[in-house]
Amino acid sequence: MCVDCGCGKSVPFGVKVLSVLAPGLLRSSAPAPASAAAVDAGVMTVVPAPLTPLTVQVHTSLLAKNDDAAGRNRAQFVQRGMLALNLVSSPGAGKTTLLSRTVDEFGREHRCAVVVGDLETDNDARRLHRPHVPVAQITTGSACHLDADMVARGVGALDLTGVRVMFIENVGNLVCPASFDLGEAVRVVLLSATEGEDKPLKYPPIFKSAHVVLLTKIDVAEVLGFDCRAAIENIRRVAPQATLIPLSSRSGEGMAVWYDYLRQRLLPR
Amino acid sequence: MHEVGIMESALALVQRHADERGASCVHRVVLRVGALSGVDPDSLRFAFEVVARGTRAEGATLVLDLVPTLVYCSSCRCEFAGDRGAIFTCPQCGDLCGEIRSGRELELSRIEMS
Ligand SMILES: Nc1nc2c(ncn2[C@@H]2O[C@H](COP(=O)(O)OP(=O)(O)OP(=O)(O)O)[C@@H](O)[C@H]2O)c(=O)[nH]1
Ligand SMILES: [Mg+2]
Ligand SMILES: [Zn+2]
Repeated sequence: MCVDCGCGKSVPFGVKVLSVLAPGLLRSSAPAPASAAAVDAGVMTVVPAPLTPLTVQVHTSLLAKNDDAAGRNRAQFVQRGMLALNLVSSPGAGKTTLLSRTVDEFGREHRCAVVVGDLETDNDARRLHRPHVPVAQITTGSACHLDADMVARGVGALDLTGVRVMFIENVGNLVCPASFDLGEAVRVVLLSATEGEDKPLKYPPIFKSAHVVLLTKIDVAEVLGFDCRAAIENIRRVAPQATLIPLSSRSGEGMAVWYDYLRQRLLPR
Repeated sequence: MHEVGIMESALALVQRHADERGASCVHRVVLRVGALSGVDPDSLRFAFEVVARGTRAEGATLVLDLVPTLVYCSSCRCEFAGDRGAIFTCPQCGDLCGEIRSGRELELSRIEMS
C-alpha cells in the first residue's frame, strides 16, 4: 500500500505495513517521525513515515516529438525549394478530386508531388497517379491523422527531382489533424457544400489554424439548398486570418484563383 | 481519438521523471490544455485511465489546467481574451481577429510523486 495517498499500490520498499492509518493522517504535511507507533485494535503496529511527496515542475509539450519531426520536414521542404501544403477536411469534402484536377492543370506548369493518407486502401493514390506526378500513399491503420514522421517516410519514398509543390492530403477528419504540424508552409482546410454552413463554428481549432479555406463543390450548392453566403460569413468570422476561395473541382469555377494562390506562394528557385 | 496517443506521450514523460527521482508512486499529474489545442478534456481523462493502468501512475489524479485563449488585434496592438465561442472580436475596435497568442498549449506541467 502506498503510504502517501492510500491508492492501494504496493510500494517496493522494505517496511511491512501492518495497519492502515486514515488517509488524512498519512497526507499530513507535518514532518513525521521516522517510525510511528500506532495502536490498532490493541495491537502495536509499526507504520513507516510518509514519504515527502516530490513535486516536479516541467513545461514539456506533449507534441514535442511530432513538432521536432515537423521541423525537420519543414527544413527539408525549404531547402529543396518546395511549397508544402497540408489539406484537411471532413471525409469526402473533395480533397482527392481537387488534387487530381490541380495536378492535371497546375501540375503541367509546375511539378507537383502528393503524399496521401488514409486509414486503409491506396485508392486515393491510384486516383492521383499520373506519369508526371510522384504519389505516395500512407495507410495509417487506426490513426485518425497524419503525423510528421509518417509524412517524412512518404516524402522519402518519392523522386523529388524538380518538384516545386508537395501536397499532403490528410486523413478525412476535422479534429485530430489540428494538433499535428506536418512541416507544411500552408494549411488548407476544405468545407464542402454537402456539409453544414455552421461547421466552422463547430470546429474552431482547425479553421483557426488554416491559411486557406476552400469552400468546395459549389456547383451543387444551389440544388442542395446550401447557403454559400452564410457559409462564407461563418468562415470569415471564425477564420479571419485565412484566404477564402470558393471553388468547384467539377465545373472548374474558382480553380484559377486557387492556382494563382499557389503561384504566389511558390518558393524562389 | 488522438487523445490516447497524446496521453501515451504524457505518461512516457511521467515515467521518465519518476525513474530519475526513484519515485515509486505517482499521485498527481497536471497538464496545461489550451482551449484551442484541439483535444477534448473528457477524452483525455478517459485516455489517462486506460493508459495509466498497470503503471506507477495508475490511480493518480489527473488535473487539467485549461489555458484560456489570448487573441491579438493588429489594429489596436492589444491582446484580449477569446471567449468560449469561435468568433473573436476586438473589444476596442470590433475587428475580427485571427492571431492566436496563446490557447494552443498542450503541455505536461507538474508531477507529484513519492
Ligand atoms: N459535385 C461535386 N462533387 C465533388 C466535387 N469534388 C468532389 N466531389 C465528389 O465528392 C466525393 C468525395 O470526393 P473525394 O475527392 O474523394 O473526397 P476526399 O476529401 O478526398 O475524401 P476522403 O479522402 O475519403 O476524405 C466524390 O464522389 C467526388 O466525386 C465537386 O467539386 N463537385
Ligand atoms: Mg481522398
Ligand atoms: Zn482592435
